[in-house]
Amino acid sequence: MQSGFDRRRINGPEESFPPIFYDSDSDDDAPPSKKPLRNGRSSKDIRPIFLQPGLINQSNGSAYIETEKTKIACAVYGPRQSKNTAYSEHGRLNVEVKFAPFSCGRRKQPLRDAEDRSVAVAIHQALVSSVRLELLPKSTVDVFINIIEADGIEGCIASGSVAASTALADAGIDLFGLVVSCSAAVVGDEIWLDPTEEEVQSSNGTMVVSTLPALNTMTSIWQNGMLSPSQVLEGMGICDEKCKDIHSIVAQAIRDHAVQQV
Amino acid sequence: MISLSKAEKSYIQAGILGDPPHRSDGRDLHDFRTVALETGVAPLSNGSARLTIGRVLRGGGGTEVLAATKLEVEDMKAGGVDGGRIVCSVTCSPAAYPHLSSGALEDLQYDMTMIINQTLSHPSLHPSNLSIVKGQKSWLLNLDLVVLSDAGNVHDALFMAARAALWDTKVPRTRSIEYKAAAANRSAGGMEIDDASGLDTRQQPSMADFELHDFWDEGEPLEGREVWPVSVTLNLISPMHYLDASAQEEAATPLRLLLAFSFSPSGTALQGMRVLGVGELDAKTVKQGIEDGEKYAREIYTALNAKLKDEDVRRNQKASHRFARR
Repeated sequence: MQSGFDRRRINGPEESFPPIFYDSDSDDDAPPSKKPLRNGRSSKDIRPIFLQPGLINQSNGSAYIETEKTKIACAVYGPRQSKNTAYSEHGRLNVEVKFAPFSCGRRKQPLRDAEDRSVAVAIHQALVSSVRLELLPKSTVDVFINIIEADGIEGCIASGSVAASTALADAGIDLFGLVVSCSAAVVGDEIWLDPTEEEVQSSNGTMVVSTLPALNTMTSIWQNGMLSPSQVLEGMGICDEKCKDIHSIVAQAIRDHAVQQV
Repeated sequence: MISLSKAEKSYIQAGILGDPPHRSDGRDLHDFRTVALETGVAPLSNGSARLTIGRVLRGGGGTEVLAATKLEVEDMKAGGVDGGRIVCSVTCSPAAYPHLSSGALEDLQYDMTMIINQTLSHPSLHPSNLSIVKGQKSWLLNLDLVVLSDAGNVHDALFMAARAALWDTKVPRTRSIEYKAAAANRSAGGMEIDDASGLDTRQQPSMADFELHDFWDEGEPLEGREVWPVSVTLNLISPMHYLDASAQEEAATPLRLLLAFSFSPSGTALQGMRVLGVGELDAKTVKQGIEDGEKYAREIYTALNAKLKDEDVRRNQKASHRFARR
């Protein structure tokens, strides 16, 4: 036994983790056979979206999005002068994603934790083609995304890019169109839209499709896992269709907010 | 990555869109530069490969990637995962990107790490023989890739090098052993302990460990090494796409579609897809890209497999020659 050992006190283990409590309303304890598949959602249903632009007063534009257990706040600052960088003819879009320490099952370290940048890169890829950066020489547009509660990385990327695009529109930055993203998981032979973390874990593969429904084009496709090319194409088609529905929700939210401002 | 003037960019783009298309090195749109591969370059690793694209003999240049795997024993209690796990990392030599600041270089290698790691450590590709003692110990496979120089198309080079190093990886053969406490120990100090008690929740005092076979053994390859993916990057200049961009061509092409395919007897699978860069895609382009990409990836896969089998033979023959000379 080591010499510096404190014998007078009860010594706990070196590392400890808080117990995970199961909500009584979620049926996690129920045997899998009795649990309704996808909590009663059909394969093409997405979770209800709550979207509120203009939440953070001091920013140029902001948005808050909530889809059941995914909660994301986003603020846009700019366009403002690029500092400490060389002259650039095009503007720069800077996306930063932060997970709250309590956003996942395991605590995230408050400082630069993994995953943050990979989500940021995916959201940047979804947004960058929609922003008219050629109109903003020497400037930077900062997009700060705070993930308050996460339910699967795919949901974070999809909801995060919807919130960021809404915030960009709210900030009055010139866009080609609103970016709308939809995620999907392939489970067995079925394609489930907007999967939760649990559903992602039981899937063969996942994808996130980001589109500009106004122009009928795609800005990003992010796919992982073992899927046949035909499954990918089918999933892309379904996501593309769903994005058109989500687009009307986003447009409505922005319109309602604009009416309130007047 | 490198900066080009507008005139240079437009010159390269016009060449590619021309009829017939022209590229500065005279290649066809869907031609690769020469790919050179050697396995077993790092003797202390469990598997390794060096891959170059477009290196001129005695002239140097080209993209060069070094990949090596290292196996580590991991305890379940110390954060291990039953069945083992794979962790990939990409390091970029500052010599490969002399114009980048250290911060930008870090971001670049992080992005490459994410693409490789998300694709290769996905559960659908997990080899079944990384377990040592079920529920106790397993192998942690570290795959480290180093980009020594970048002359374009670094993603394809990384995936090819990773595939070669994983193909080359040999997992040591192990035998699990178990210790059981002798029954005499259980009645300590003359006190009778009733074994039949149903309330006895103490764990059986057994311990499991493993040992290596004590004859010389090179180990066995990773299970399912055929399915490790190969990637193909389609450089898109609408309406054309071309393969294996050089550094200048890369700078002149705004949009890229990265596709990672794996081929197995049960069929072709897409293991990863990313859109990189600024620009818009329509569904038709993506569909065409996936169809064509599969064709190109299959050619790369066939060529790579032939070379890897060749390398296996070369190294085994060399080993047996050396053995015979002794």
